[in-house]
Amino acid sequence: MVTTVKDVKTGAEALTTDKELTAPAVKPVTLPSENPVVYPLTLPEPAARTQTPAVGQRASRPDGRLHGLGQTKYIDDLTFPHMIHAKILRSAHPHARIISVDTSEAEAMPGVFATLTGKEIPVNSFGPTLQDQPVLAGDIVRHRGDGVAAVAAVTEQIAADALEKIKVEYEPLPAVFDPVEALKDEIKVHAPNSNIYASKVIRKGDVDKALAESDHVFHREFRTQFVEHVPLEPHSSVAMWDGNGRVTIYSSLGRITLGREDLSRTLRIPQNRVRLIGTIVGGNFGGKNEITNEPILALLSKKTGRPVKCTYTRGDEFVSSTIRHPFIMDYTTGVNNEGKILARKIRLVLDGGAYCSWTGTTIGKGSILAPGPYNIDNLLVEAYAVYTNKTTTGAMRGFGAPQVCFAYESQMDDIAVALGIDPLEIRLRNAFSENSFSPTSQVLQSVAIKESLLQASDRFGWKE
Amino acid sequence: MKRRGKGIGCMWYPIGFTVMANPSAATVKVNTDGTATLLTGTVETGQGALTVLGQIAAEALGISTDDVHVVSGDTDTTPMDTGAIASRTTYVTGNAIVRAAEAARELLFEAAAPLLGVKADQLEARDKRIQVLGFPSKSLPISEVALHAETNVGRPAIGSASYNPPTVPMDPETGQGKPFNTYVYATQIAEVEVDDETGEVEILRIVAVHDCGTPINPMLVEGQIQGGISMGVGFALQEEILFKDGVQVNPNLTNYIMPTSLDMPELEVELVDNYDPTGPFGAKGAGEPTAVPTAAAIMNAIYDAVGVRITSLPATAEKVMMAILEKREQEAKSA
Repeated sequence: MVTTVKDVKTGAEALTTDKELTAPAVKPVTLPSENPVVYPLTLPEPAARTQTPAVGQRASRPDGRLHGLGQTKYIDDLTFPHMIHAKILRSAHPHARIISVDTSEAEAMPGVFATLTGKEIPVNSFGPTLQDQPVLAGDIVRHRGDGVAAVAAVTEQIAADALEKIKVEYEPLPAVFDPVEALKDEIKVHAPNSNIYASKVIRKGDVDKALAESDHVFHREFRTQFVEHVPLEPHSSVAMWDGNGRVTIYSSLGRITLGREDLSRTLRIPQNRVRLIGTIVGGNFGGKNEITNEPILALLSKKTGRPVKCTYTRGDEFVSSTIRHPFIMDYTTGVNNEGKILARKIRLVLDGGAYCSWTGTTIGKGSILAPGPYNIDNLLVEAYAVYTNKTTTGAMRGFGAPQVCFAYESQMDDIAVALGIDPLEIRLRNAFSENSFSPTSQVLQSVAIKESLLQASDRFGWKE
Repeated sequence: MKRRGKGIGCMWYPIGFTVMANPSAATVKVNTDGTATLLTGTVETGQGALTVLGQIAAEALGISTDDVHVVSGDTDTTPMDTGAIASRTTYVTGNAIVRAAEAARELLFEAAAPLLGVKADQLEARDKRIQVLGFPSKSLPISEVALHAETNVGRPAIGSASYNPPTVPMDPETGQGKPFNTYVYATQIAEVEVDDETGEVEILRIVAVHDCGTPINPMLVEGQIQGGISMGVGFALQEEILFKDGVQVNPNLTNYIMPTSLDMPELEVELVDNYDPTGPFGAKGAGEPTAVPTAAAIMNAIYDAVGVRITSLPATAEKVMMAILEKREQEAKSA
């Protein structure tokens, strides 16, 4: 282990040198309950948590102990008096006009307290950059994960059964699934707007001239797939609307400040009447960065006067929460005989799915990072995000970086192989140094790309 | 026959995000027994952020991690935060916490200065004491100073601050600008074994060397890297949501295949010795970048093993096998 901080105890040392840790002094306590569980309620603190200076210590997590003891309360562990359960009906079509939604039969079922449709949402749109996504679909459904109506019932099972009694009449519309087809704008997902809803250009030097002057030019197209975050804890919330018109929401959301703004806006109530509590999140990876069912539960709670909970099934999680953007990446790179990159031209097409979500940041980061951590004087990056009638793509660990890294690093090895240069060597010849200019001409500081290449190759035994 | 190969993937990654401002605010309260409470609007998402943020507050106050209790994730009680996103928490929220803790510490210095017979700017907070710079034998416990500040001076040691990374907007025509305040760097090297009769890829070993500036908590950074690599392995070889006519055909964990512990290779994780003067105590971030170069390294290792370039992810056994067969066909033609 190499770290910047000296005198750091390793975890193994802490375990072997801290005698208290290996021999708890206190006898475990048995808590009275139906199924007695033995909790070692008093454990000594590991030394790393009690030493100064604090920075650099391998301090254990206080929440880790609670996880280990089963004391962490995730949303689905929370229960409140008179709490009821909500389920959301998803669209039957990838693209359709909603003619009518009839919830009367569902509402008449014993155990059902209330239903909700898009028309009842005070401001039925949200999104971090473009507010193009409805809380529940209004007139149009744009992918199969769009919510069409919701039910609150005394049990999850009754709510699920009630969804089957909701009658939705659709007029199917032509749909577009292939992002390259969608670029043509022949079928529009958000008519009359173009399918191309975000774009980015990064231009530096004269890329065509430099490509013409290069000793070798390499070209290849790379593609990546849709990926789900698969958090262990699915999206989950509980909403309680009180008699003063104030709503308290427990949510698995990772950004509560912006979540409260979205709730205030969609519910059309002041921000100080919304209390959003983010509990320990059981995995996020970017998928819990915006509201999903929270306004629906708030309004169902307002209608029924009861706390309303909704925990997504794994199926809900796949089809209705956001997923990773697939990229189509066209890379053309000119190099000299020594393997120095002279020019790089990149075209990115992002499958944006049905709504914008976090595409703005994904296309931004994807474009800026696309040339790789290399000094390149002549650059052109053009990126487009297009709507398709598929699951919404949004934030996911890396915001486009894993996609473009796959492309720029694969092409780096293509070049190395063709020129007979070692893959480590060609990277060292091109990599940023301290004060290098980024693709957007920013002066880079605390640069450690060559250090990481050398340290990793040493550890791996690359030259052996 | 099983063939071995090795491949490099390196990357750079920004801390924070484009499109909009990216601020965090924090409040630090020093209690009269020398412990402290930190209020932050971020949310623990399993990465250990609250532990790291507590360590940052503790460092600025000269107390231990265990002395700081962190209150988070409640819009009624905690200050605004842009949230647990974009690998920004350690850097942006951490910088806000340093500033808030320094404001609280300044009140401690002002209360302690007359007691120690020096000026406030001659003091430092270290090892749970307020002490004179360069003359540590003259000092008072933080608990005593905090009690004095609150009960005698009447100015409790509470500090609030915010931080937003300075950026320059990107020119819409050329994209030129300063969209982020800093970046991190990393290299992962994979060793794989490819069965050239089935196309199956087994990852034997991944060496990961990451830069995150100062690791506030090296153990948690290592954990992030290990977890990130498992996501990278899924992205490289297994995970894919398949659609037919706009309908997901595998929206379940029976047919959407993810790596389990049995799919994970030996991981060797190291950190680069680095320090970023703009970060809290030199720290940058670690969350997302850990998942970035894994697939690239694995694809390059596959090429090294069997000579086929996989151009679309994931590199399933079928895809690798088809590429091997295609290569053999081409070689047979040209022979």
